[in-house]
Amino acid sequence: MNCQQALPLIAAYVDGEVDRLQRLSIEKHLRACADCAAERESLLSLRARIRAEVPYFTAPPALRKRLETILEVTPAVPAPKPRPSGNRWRWLSAGALTGCMATVLAWFVGTALVDWRANDDLAAEAVASHVRATLGNHLVEIASSDQHTVKPWLSARLDYSPPVRDLANEGFALVGGRLDSLDRRPVAVLVYRYRQHTIDVFVRPLSASRLPLRAVRGFNVAQATGADMDWIAVSDVSADVLSSFVNRLAAVAAVP
Amino acid sequence: MSDHSRFEKRVLPHLDAAYNLARWLTRDAHDAEDVVQDACVRALKYEASLHGGDGRAWLLTIVRHAFYDWCERNRPAEIVRDDGAAIDAAVDIASPGPEEAALRNDASQRLADALARLPPGFRQVVILREMEELSYKDIARVVDIPIGTVMSRLARARNLLQRSPLLRAIAGRAAGGET
Repeated sequence: MNCQQALPLIAAYVDGEVDRLQRLSIEKHLRACADCAAERESLLSLRARIRAEVPYFTAPPALRKRLETILEVTPAVPAPKPRPSGNRWRWLSAGALTGCMATVLAWFVGTALVDWRANDDLAAEAVASHVRATLGNHLVEIASSDQHTVKPWLSARLDYSPPVRDLANEGFALVGGRLDSLDRRPVAVLVYRYRQHTIDVFVRPLSASRLPLRAVRGFNVAQATGADMDWIAVSDVSADVLSSFVNRLAAVAAVP
Repeated sequence: MSDHSRFEKRVLPHLDAAYNLARWLTRDAHDAEDVVQDACVRALKYEASLHGGDGRAWLLTIVRHAFYDWCERNRPAEIVRDDGAAIDAAVDIASPGPEEAALRNDASQRLADALARLPPGFRQVVILREMEELSYKDIARVVDIPIGTVMSRLARARNLLQRSPLLRAIAGRAAGGET
């Protein structure tokens, strides 16, 4: 091997990317050729300097913690469960009446279950977007305590116009708003500050589904209706404060 | 929640690698956190696409995509600069003005600076090779370029780092033994 053949391979050799045969012939050449040996030394010394002098940034503990929180609030994609296969022969022998009753019962249980699942997912989804927005600095896209600024900004980006009210005189100061999505639809979010807490209020056209007042991973969720809108508040403030706030907000919004 | 525990086991151990890459690409601690967070949310979404394979290379690929999306929104100018010709321009950028030279005397600061000034396409190849010790094949996968391009970018980036006026100044100083 001569220099012309060796030079282009030296970097690959230093990176451990040549096969055994190539390695042997490169090493043979390096022993004989001072120039190529210097090239190898220069690559090795650059590597040593990078490892010694260039900082390797490790993830801040706060980031790690945030990610763990996001992981917790993000609903896992459920694996499809195998459906138990019914025994057709027993169905037949048990008679048509039992079959009908079972069908009716299954329908009741089934729809109740679907409702409960949907509401559960909605609360979890609202909490997940609240957490993501709080942690990712996307809490507020339009920052203003002026309801006449926030409302048109939101209306221009949605197919409905959410009522916006500031309740600063009651301790809940309007900070701004953002667009988010809930139940696969774009939704207006009003952001309020209450003492040290942030409250997200999702405002969407009235829908049939009612959320039970409940906590998801330490965040409370409360719902109210008013002004033909569905108001869903998410925050880490106590459940009763959140509930009375969202009811008050919905009531105030209903007054023209 | 088995999906989550698998995610935690296979992805979270590589969080430092993800953050380091994002930190060197954005050159800002705060922006790096945003990029990593975005990448992890995506990783969680596409967790199914990690079948066997190396969780680290997989996560770094997502970090890189998240960075370019972030860049498009926040620093579109950098994407334009990210080509082969840009590295020649970087030689000039890497020469410090007198004020800067006075401010940044520390030798390691200079090598880090020279690295930070490489165009992102070259910077990430150096980081993946020298800091993460990924193979050419893995780097090609993460950066989405052919192996030949990995080798040529690595060669040019190393050459630039070695010849950087910043580093030569130090070499000269060390030889002269005088500040």
